[in-house]
Amino acid sequence: MTAIPVSSVPSSPGSLRANWRIFWNGGRLSYTALFNWAQPSIYIPTLLGAPTFQILFFAALGSYATGMDPAFFAIGNAVQVCSMAGIYGMTMAVANERWFGTLPVLMASPANRAALFGGRFIPFIVNGFLVSAYGFLLCWIFLGVRFDAATLGVMVLAMIVTAFSCSAIGAVQGGISLRLRDGLFGANLLVFLFLLFCGVNIPLAALPPWMQAVSQVLPFTHGLAAVRAAIDGATLSEVGGLIATEFLIGLVYAVAAFFLFRWLERSAYRNATLDAR
Amino acid sequence: MGSIATFRANVHQVVRVWTFTLGIYMKSEFFVLTAGVQPVIFATIAFLLFQVGGEAAGPQTLLFAALGTGMMGVWSTTLFGGGGAIAWQRWESTLELLVAAPRRYDLTLLGQTLATTTFGFYSMIATLAWGWLLFGMPIDANFPLILPLALLVAVIGLGIMGMLLATTFVLYRHANALSNLLEYPVWIATGMLVPLALLPGWLGPISWVLLPTWAVEAIRGAAIGSEPPWLAIGMCMVLTLVYYVIARRVLVYVIDKARRDATLNLA
Repeated sequence: MTAIPVSSVPSSPGSLRANWRIFWNGGRLSYTALFNWAQPSIYIPTLLGAPTFQILFFAALGSYATGMDPAFFAIGNAVQVCSMAGIYGMTMAVANERWFGTLPVLMASPANRAALFGGRFIPFIVNGFLVSAYGFLLCWIFLGVRFDAATLGVMVLAMIVTAFSCSAIGAVQGGISLRLRDGLFGANLLVFLFLLFCGVNIPLAALPPWMQAVSQVLPFTHGLAAVRAAIDGATLSEVGGLIATEFLIGLVYAVAAFFLFRWLERSAYRNATLDAR
Repeated sequence: MGSIATFRANVHQVVRVWTFTLGIYMKSEFFVLTAGVQPVIFATIAFLLFQVGGEAAGPQTLLFAALGTGMMGVWSTTLFGGGGAIAWQRWESTLELLVAAPRRYDLTLLGQTLATTTFGFYSMIATLAWGWLLFGMPIDANFPLILPLALLVAVIGLGIMGMLLATTFVLYRHANALSNLLEYPVWIATGMLVPLALLPGWLGPISWVLLPTWAVEAIRGAAIGSEPPWLAIGMCMVLTLVYYVIARRVLVYVIDKARRDATLNLA
């Protein structure tokens, strides 16, 4: 059995040190305790196996249907697979508090809510980035995708920011899931919609205008465009705007998720529905 | 009880479980998503991709894509519903009751997995309606009298395959993880959207023993083929029989072992 070392040094509630502990240790605990897929027997088939075949499927379908280079579809899906970690992971990290019966204890604690909530992002951003990196390794080995060493750092930055924005919309979904019977319905739906709207498989220019408009406010669209450009050799100054836009979109979703969480908390207190299912 | 009476009782049992399970699926958000929403999203991706491809996006291509994405939905529903059938009974603590009941458990499971596949065929209706409404796809069949037969053998065959999945997945503690893993590989290996001729040759023998390959071939053959798909229909029937024999043997082994070891309800 593996235990997570948690500092036993007492610190006054509300202090920076206490908030840091809630942010860091709480985040790690939430990943280990609430993310159902963290164990290898689920992680490997779900977060490594499924993305492998997703990339191969869309590379084959895309090149067959359009005659375009399979690399276009492989890159899009290699970035999109981070949603498996970001969306499902954050949904579980928030919604499982209720399903596992720990939500009342959490809500009764005086812990800083921003630290409590923010700490949950870190493991899923790292996880999402790693799943995408694995996807790109597959693209490199099997699908002939090649990277420009000079702009590899830009690509990595765009991937991390995309994993963040994806986790942020996952946190919104997690908040909504606190009130739903089946929290993963919305998470599944989001993952599929990214495949359709965000330029993952269909070039944005080929989408109807209303779908292009929707894609502009979704995670992935700008981050993926930045990754594609970086692979083609674009520098940070050239794709910085895209990365910044992706970050801003993520930030808006993160803030929205935080206020949604607070609103649901207050509403649950008022209506005595904290643990209602 | 005479053999005819036994047969009637068995059919009655399968039909009752089938209708009961269909009722459950209609209230399940997950299965509504898998059979209704997901195939429509994949169909839209396929239609748009073929439109990007330009000349290839004729009416026949759209019908090819609609039938393919519809079958993808059928497979997903079968995979998650069949693969998780026994596991869910364990979680809901109904497995002991069902196994201990005087009725045959394999028929209960058959009714359940047939319901899964039947519900999955909503995907086909959804993608065809979507293509017709939004992309102007004509709904026509070259062999309209063979199409119902192709659909029937596909439903029964995939239902039996669901039973095979249920009995084998239960050996793995996390059946859902296996379902997550096997969705895309079967879409690839059975030529749902990309013709098998364009994929590596070593996939051929794998695709031949997978029933969805022949099921989608039978339905496509009846809808847009130039010749009646008798071979595909025949292969569906043969594989259905083979799958049933394997599933029943595995089920007897698993249940007997679980009873002996007193682990029936231990996931």
